[in-house]
Amino acid sequence: MEARVFEIINTVLSNRSKPKISSLKSEMDLRNDLGMDSLDLAELTVRIEAEYDVDIFEDGIVRTVGEVLKKI
Amino acid sequence: MNLFYHDPNQGVSVSWNTFIDDISNSQTFNPYCSSDSFYQIFKCIVLSMLIQEPIILLDADFSESELFKLTGEKSFSKFNKRIKRDIIPVIKNKAELILSLQNTSVNWDISLYSSGSTGIPKKVKHSFNSITRFVKISERNAKSVWGFAFNPSHMAGVQVFFQALLNGNTIIRLFDLPANDIKRSIKENKITHISATPTFYSMLLPCDDSFPSVLRVTSGGEKYNSKTTSQLSLLFPNAKITNVYATTETGTLLASENDIFRIKPEYEHLIRIENNELLINNVLMGNSDFSFDEWYRTGDIIEVVTNVPLKFRFVSRKSDMINTGGYKVNPFEVEEAILEIPNIKNVRVYSRPNSILGNIVCCDVVCDNDVIDEMWIRTFLQKRIQEFKIPRFIRFVEKIAVSRTGKTKRN
Repeated sequence: MEARVFEIINTVLSNRSKPKISSLKSEMDLRNDLGMDSLDLAELTVRIEAEYDVDIFEDGIVRTVGEVLKKI
Repeated sequence: MNLFYHDPNQGVSVSWNTFIDDISNSQTFNPYCSSDSFYQIFKCIVLSMLIQEPIILLDADFSESELFKLTGEKSFSKFNKRIKRDIIPVIKNKAELILSLQNTSVNWDISLYSSGSTGIPKKVKHSFNSITRFVKISERNAKSVWGFAFNPSHMAGVQVFFQALLNGNTIIRLFDLPANDIKRSIKENKITHISATPTFYSMLLPCDDSFPSVLRVTSGGEKYNSKTTSQLSLLFPNAKITNVYATTETGTLLASENDIFRIKPEYEHLIRIENNELLINNVLMGNSDFSFDEWYRTGDIIEVVTNVPLKFRFVSRKSDMINTGGYKVNPFEVEEAILEIPNIKNVRVYSRPNSILGNIVCCDVVCDNDVIDEMWIRTFLQKRIQEFKIPRFIRFVEKIAVSRTGKTKRN
């Protein structure tokens, strides 16, 4: 699962020509470390929802990669 | 207070005196105004008012083909004209500038493009009176510091600009900045007023900090989100939080403290409800390229809470327009752009509910070429349509679902 989330995050980042990450660390902050904006976070939600049927932002309190993984 | 505009990311900081000097020393004017610099746009608007020339605002990220579709023009430099020295009135200070702007000529107007519900974006023209109808000028507002959280070439941005301009306020750019920079800027600049979309506010959450300097928070452009609003009162403990309803055609029209809008008695005769759709009388509208009947159909479906006084809440949109983070996307326009790719045989652009943006633009494509992938389509679209219109999720399918009447299914 982690490998797939890593792939999804890199797809989202490269779709907007943002630098990809070389490894996934659970303490990484989606907004501040990965530079995701609202469009990116929305895309991340849709892609994860399409695969895992979970809306990670349903309660609006996801900050880090680790929190995303916990939701799935 | 002497600071007019501050953009922490572009490193721009301009006092009111510099702003006045810059305008007074302008040598050329182009009625088509498009710029990445908010300051340039603000300067161009004010200059146009002082020299009584109409102005047309264009998004900085419109592609060449979008610009041509909208304006019928391929190049805009030919519209540059020199300004004669004596045309710009002599203005010594902020108070004189504001006074002069308040007496803007009836010949002046400002045009913006609304996303349009028929496939063709509409040019909507506003006079000084209609664009500033809801501007409140008062002593109390003289010390406001505005967090500017909209695109300056869109209706909401223009309205915030005029509210700040005519009160002689300071404008701090927050639009399109990372969440941490926004939070830092609110604190450093002691921002007192913010008007933004629910998406903008939800990007600030979760947040352990609070911003006591903020006294007014306005949220609009998207469906009211009660969860975000309740979290906002923790973020801005001293702020009055207002939810507004606005359109490019009318500007801000209604305000409420929750999701229920109450119509002021003086406006009641200008609002009508037909088959649950909100209709607005044309006296409240700017002028559009398209002529409206006496009543303008907003396409917004409402639910009446009480008839006397008239109170209602918004339920949904009647049209096919997709509202993604406050931006309206016309699925037909996006489909048309995708179908320009030779190997794409069919396409369906639709929205999916999304907890961040309200809705997200998605599409299904039928393609007979293995080389074309999601990235390829995205790169192609970047040259043709604005970023927010590009589907965030592209799926390759065998065939496109159609409804029983043969129409493409959009939900």
